[in-house]
Amino acid sequence: MMRHGLTLKLSVLLALIGVLASGTTGYYAYRANRTMLVHEAERSLLTSTELLGQRFTMAINDIAADALVLSTMPSAATVALDDDGRSVDNPTRDRLAQVFESFIAQHPEYLQVRLIARNHYGLELIRIDRESGGTVRVQESALQEKGQFAYVFDTLALRPGRIYISPIAVNHEHGAHAAEGKPTLRVGTPVADARGGVVGVVVIDVDLASLLRLSQADLPADYQVYLANEWGDFLVHPDSSLTFGFDKGRRVFMQESFAATKALFEQSTQPVLLNGLTQPNQAANHVFSFVRRPFGESQGNRFIVIGLGKPLHDVLVGANMLGNSIVRMVLIFSAFAILLAILFARALTRPLHILADAATHFFSEHTVDALPLRRTDEIGVLARCFDRMRREIRVQMDELRSKQHELTHLASHDGLTGLPNRMLFMQKLEEAIDRARGSGERLAVLFIDLNRFKQINDQYGHSVGDDVLAIVARRLQDVLHSGDFVARLGGDEFIVLIRGERSADAAPAIAARIVRTLDDELTIDDQPMTVGASIGISQFPADGDSAEALLLNADAAMYAAKSGGSGAWVSYRELIDIRRARTGRGKRRRSERESEKVEPADDGADVIA
Amino acid sequence: MLIAHASAAENVLRVLAWPGYADPDVVKGFESRYHAKVEVTLIDSDEALWDKMHQGKTPQFDVLAANTAEIQRYAHDNLLAPLDLGSLPNTKRQLPRFRALSSIAGLTKQGAVYAIPFTYSTMGLIYDRKQVSVAPHSMNELWNPRYRGKVLDYNSAQHNFSFTALALGYPDPFQLNSAQMQTITRKLIDLRRNLLTYYNLPEEAAAFFVQHKVALMFGNYGTQQLELLRRAGADVGYVIPDEGVLAWLDCWSMTSAAANRPLALAWINYMLEPDVSRLLTQRQGLANTLTEPPESTGKSHILWIEPVENIDRREALWSRIVSGDRPERF
Repeated sequence: MMRHGLTLKLSVLLALIGVLASGTTGYYAYRANRTMLVHEAERSLLTSTELLGQRFTMAINDIAADALVLSTMPSAATVALDDDGRSVDNPTRDRLAQVFESFIAQHPEYLQVRLIARNHYGLELIRIDRESGGTVRVQESALQEKGQFAYVFDTLALRPGRIYISPIAVNHEHGAHAAEGKPTLRVGTPVADARGGVVGVVVIDVDLASLLRLSQADLPADYQVYLANEWGDFLVHPDSSLTFGFDKGRRVFMQESFAATKALFEQSTQPVLLNGLTQPNQAANHVFSFVRRPFGESQGNRFIVIGLGKPLHDVLVGANMLGNSIVRMVLIFSAFAILLAILFARALTRPLHILADAATHFFSEHTVDALPLRRTDEIGVLARCFDRMRREIRVQMDELRSKQHELTHLASHDGLTGLPNRMLFMQKLEEAIDRARGSGERLAVLFIDLNRFKQINDQYGHSVGDDVLAIVARRLQDVLHSGDFVARLGGDEFIVLIRGERSADAAPAIAARIVRTLDDELTIDDQPMTVGASIGISQFPADGDSAEALLLNADAAMYAAKSGGSGAWVSYRELIDIRRARTGRGKRRRSERESEKVEPADDGADVIA
Repeated sequence: MLIAHASAAENVLRVLAWPGYADPDVVKGFESRYHAKVEVTLIDSDEALWDKMHQGKTPQFDVLAANTAEIQRYAHDNLLAPLDLGSLPNTKRQLPRFRALSSIAGLTKQGAVYAIPFTYSTMGLIYDRKQVSVAPHSMNELWNPRYRGKVLDYNSAQHNFSFTALALGYPDPFQLNSAQMQTITRKLIDLRRNLLTYYNLPEEAAAFFVQHKVALMFGNYGTQQLELLRRAGADVGYVIPDEGVLAWLDCWSMTSAAANRPLALAWINYMLEPDVSRLLTQRQGLANTLTEPPESTGKSHILWIEPVENIDRREALWSRIVSGDRPERF
């Protein structure tokens, strides 16, 4: 569990970082691209707007040139001065009218071309109107007085050669044929007589829609055109019901529809750019550009505001395409990042796993994998440290174990003879008893006491005594079988455990062998000496069923042997028989009934002593 | 539930008004005084007013402000409820000409009062004090050849026929016979020949006035127009001609669907409080019905605009006059 825990966590973390990084990068790239595209669109829209404005001005200049041509024709002044509009026959006027007709025929955007007199309240003298599919020359009786219109009185006030440009308005003049009800721009210029006096005006009425069509000829179809007069009234708007509001009693202002254009109607001549990306409230889903242009300069500081709009969606088509590729790229990179994260996490945690494995199985000899000791990074350092530590611990553990072993040996063995001591013997005896109980095996315990050790010790010193004990131990081991167990109880007392069938031979065969070997002379420092031994034998299960009982009874038997003479051995069975005989004698004295067959060799009290 | 709903409805007043008639501070004053809630809907044309009044089977409003001609239409269609003058004590503060309700066409029907005058605007003469040393007394000054090319007229069929009728001394400028129409047409051609031009927008008028040194003009927008002219740099005066002046008059009425009539009456009465009515003059440049404006006196002959005999006829003639048709064409 732990192994997968870290790998999984690390994989998830790294994958998250990877996915997040690629996602964030993608998102910001997308955002930046959108912003860039919108700004680019704003710039290009501004250029188009300015271009539209210039073309609009140029178109008006072309019309002005036409007006000037007509006004400077010599007959224009003559007609303006002399004609009163009532004389039916005036060849000069009719010839001039033909010229006017040819002008209007050549310019489909012209709605009316007129020569208007200063006299007779601004009476029209020549008037050619556009009418469905052609032109019509207005008859004398239908000619009207136009002195009350600004395009007449303002043009009359100009010096010859100057141009008047009217505000754009809906033509409400009665009987104007095709011009009636159309948004119209009027271009006028004075007609001067030979002395330079202004005697009339030439006025060309232009259809605003045709004029704009000419100016915006190559604008993309999705561009929306806006036009407002100097007060902000819409003259052109994609929704035509919002145009010429002043004409319908409900004015609709550009600065109310697009609050940002307010500055244009005050003093500012800086273009206004709006986009639905950063100003969604002002330019919902569109990009807009508005510029202020002077209009009819001779009339003071009049101006128009031209605007172009483009749907934001069209602008962002590229960004959306890029967005799709970014999404795909982000997905691919995320998958890649997940894969890399898993691989990296596994590569990173693998040596850790090895180390953890090594730590888990510290004391077992086998190692799952070789430690990454050759790595040069931190993991390598950790592995090397760990390895050194492991080796040191092992050495110390080995030492500790051998010391422990030694201590255990010292605790259970006699230092002088190297034989097991009383504690170990008792333990072995108890184990043997436990085993014998189950298997029915027999055991024999031989208690050996040296007869003349004290005298040798006193006569030759402790050092010789010690040598004697060591030789006794060796001789005991020599005469016994490997399966027998010999131990030193302390002082000059030794004890032997015989197991199995051979325990029946303990007395007299084994005991006799021991007595014999210990009766052999031994030489220490060139001093011959004989040590001799007395042996008491107890047997399991006959003479006791515990280690203590067997030892105690063997001891008792040894005393009986010692008191009976040197080099002798007595088994506990024999000792019991002697005692029973002595006890039988005593009873006879009291009851005179019981007889005793066994007759011990000596008095029981002596044996005990 | 029903009672709770009814009492909630009782405390709500639905007001249909023109911009400037029920400003937020005015509404708040009423709400706190009468512990009521006022819902104001603003309209900016007679057509919008008509549309709002005809949403649903019955009007969705309790009170409305409309001019005398419109009031007449609504009263005729039984959309208005008669008003109890006893509940409108502030009407006693009004100038005598506004207390004589039966003298104003459209306010009463079969003896019942259907509207209370609130604000009005006269269409007098505006003149340049520098060029016209003595304030003009008559509309006929517009025809004075002294001012040829320095006169401005408003481009409106109804009013031009009406004020020319006044200038000619016709008794009822709103009901003209064909002989009178013919005379007036001639007279309007004469006026045209004396004009600089016609205007539609007040801004336009101000521009012409200053740029072309206009001496005299028919002030269709009345005193409201003066401020604009003064801002444009003109030194102008305003007069009400002796033969009388045309004026529109806006009144408050209660609809027949008004749920809480005492509250509706309280609103109309509140509109005639001196503090409330004075705001109209201060903020909108409009005259109120409590105090006489400086340019007029109690004797000024004010003619409240009424529906005319045949608007289409006037429009047709006017279109030709404005376009420059010569007299012999008529």
